[in-house]
Amino acid sequence: MKEILSIKGLHKIYNGGTHALKGINLSVNEGEFLILLGLSGSGKSTLLRCINRLIEPSSGEISFAGKNVIRAKGTELRHIRRRIGMIFQQFNLIKNLSVLTNVLTGRLGYISFSQSLFLGANQEDKEKALKNLKRVGLLEFQKKKVMNLSGGQQQRVAIARALMQEPNLILADEPVASLDPATADSVMKYLGDLNKNDNITVICSLHFLSLARKYGTRVIALKDGKIVFDGKPAEIDEKKFKEIYGEEAEEVEIR
Amino acid sequence: MKNKTLPIFKAIVTDFLFWFYVVGCGRYLVYQWFEVHLNFNYHIAVSLFLTLLFFIIGDSIGKKFFVGSKKLNGKWYFHFWGLFIVLGLIVTFVVGWNVVEVKPVKFFTKFINAKNIVSGILDPNFDIFIPMLSALAETIFLALLATFFAIPFAFVLSFFAARNLMPKTILGNTVYIVIRTIATFFRSVEAVVWAIIFSVWVGIGPFAGMLALMIHSVAALTKLYSEQIENIDSGQIEAIKATGANQLQVWIYAVIPQIISPYLAFTIYRWDINVRMATIVGFVGGGGIGLALLQQQQLLRWHNVGLIIWLIAATVWIMDMFSAKIRNKLLKTQ
Ligand SMILES: Nc1ncnc2c1ncn2[C@@H]1O[C@H](COP(=O)(O)OP(=O)(O)OP(=O)(O)O)[C@@H](O)[C@H]1O
Ligand SMILES: [Mg+2]
Repeated sequence: MKEILSIKGLHKIYNGGTHALKGINLSVNEGEFLILLGLSGSGKSTLLRCINRLIEPSSGEISFAGKNVIRAKGTELRHIRRRIGMIFQQFNLIKNLSVLTNVLTGRLGYISFSQSLFLGANQEDKEKALKNLKRVGLLEFQKKKVMNLSGGQQQRVAIARALMQEPNLILADEPVASLDPATADSVMKYLGDLNKNDNITVICSLHFLSLARKYGTRVIALKDGKIVFDGKPAEIDEKKFKEIYGEEAEEVEIR
Repeated sequence: MKNKTLPIFKAIVTDFLFWFYVVGCGRYLVYQWFEVHLNFNYHIAVSLFLTLLFFIIGDSIGKKFFVGSKKLNGKWYFHFWGLFIVLGLIVTFVVGWNVVEVKPVKFFTKFINAKNIVSGILDPNFDIFIPMLSALAETIFLALLATFFAIPFAFVLSFFAARNLMPKTILGNTVYIVIRTIATFFRSVEAVVWAIIFSVWVGIGPFAGMLALMIHSVAALTKLYSEQIENIDSGQIEAIKATGANQLQVWIYAVIPQIISPYLAFTIYRWDINVRMATIVGFVGGGGIGLALLQQQQLLRWHNVGLIIWLIAATVWIMDMFSAKIRNKLLKTQ
């Protein structure tokens, strides 16, 4: 199996002094569906954002597809980023642009500045966008403004946008935390499908163990900025669960 | 040691200022009513005496608010400090009544004096409708141009006046503070004052009025625009960055779509305000309908004045309605 992401001794200390990541070591292989668990504040978002340098790590090493992420600058960093799609809890689409334009922004890393002024003028990109919209079942929504869509639909647009990047890796930061259980599962299905059929590696933070068991091929758990569990989803029993979430925690089953 | 003397000092100063004010008000009223001049030295002496007297008694406004003690808690009307506050309010009201020369009797009995203007309003002179319409057009264009020329300045300045865009360095902070301070200052000087300055500078006329409104608009729009930038959703910026976009692309796809409608809304709102201000600015030499109003009023042509008042009211009403409609539409698409 081929390693796609390797993280060594990663630390993040925020300006305010919060030590959010305390020496993360992690190796992710191509094709894995890695679930990130952990209490609120354990450092999940920080870790995900360090991988594509939306947050500057304080120290440590990250390499993605053999390239040094930490040392990359300017164009080099943007070329790394365009191979890493990102999905957010709040969807983070450009709300007053159309669905199609939003999907096309996924190409920004590939096109020149002048081309980016006329998104959609490039026929090839446009076809790709329509294909990806169809894939997430939103072809007929292409002209609609994003803000008129439901949460689940918006997240699917965000998946289509990420697909435009032709990513090798997708980072998903609590992608279903603001959706109802049924919609959450349908969104997770799309991610699962990309993982299996397109061989895109996924790292996804979640709060629901049921979803982790259903979609994950591997689970790591963070606690206070450290990895406290790394294994198969099925290995998380009562005892492990309490280790991750604390003695008082009870598992709530959301199916 | 220090943290005990400072409150006492503050208390004494407060009490002294209070008594200085109250005694001063008394002096003014004595002069108004009895035409008796009281010596300034007495003023100081009496103030000082009262300050020290009640400070030693241990119940005064300064003691209550800066030193504080259990004795001074409880209902205000059981204490000197509470009664003094009431005294201060009463004295202020009485002096204010005198200074403003409030004359209720006149208000109710001399309505007849307003007969001319009221009859002018009820029977406006439509013969001057066309020339006044052109004066009104001058005012509207003046406001439009002032707004239009203010946009590019405010647009550029707003980026430097937005906290989240300025780097957190000494230079970044300085630029931010300087621009914000200047904008606040320019805004706090009334447009009328600017109009007086510019009518001396470039001569009486619409150009002076435009400059006055423009400078005011730049300051106001800079503030509104930059606050809008400070409110943008950083999640959208993150998302576009994550696609591998460069800084300019981030601007075009994550920043500008978020600010464009509010910017337009604020600008239209500003134009609306400028039309109103342009009328007033006209009074002091800014040209347009304001100047016409002033002239007709000085010539005592009340029927012409009536027509102008109707024109201004109609314009303001229409502008207000339309700008509110457009603004709502723009901001709803947020
Ligand atoms: N921009 C920031 N500046 C300072 N401290 C931060 C910042 N972002 C996060 N932190 C701190 O870093 C720690 C980890 O935060 P992080 O957002 O990574 O947690 P999380 O696991 O994603 O939590 P959640 O489940 O609530 O999203 C927290 O203590 C948080 O307060
Ligand atoms: Mg988070």
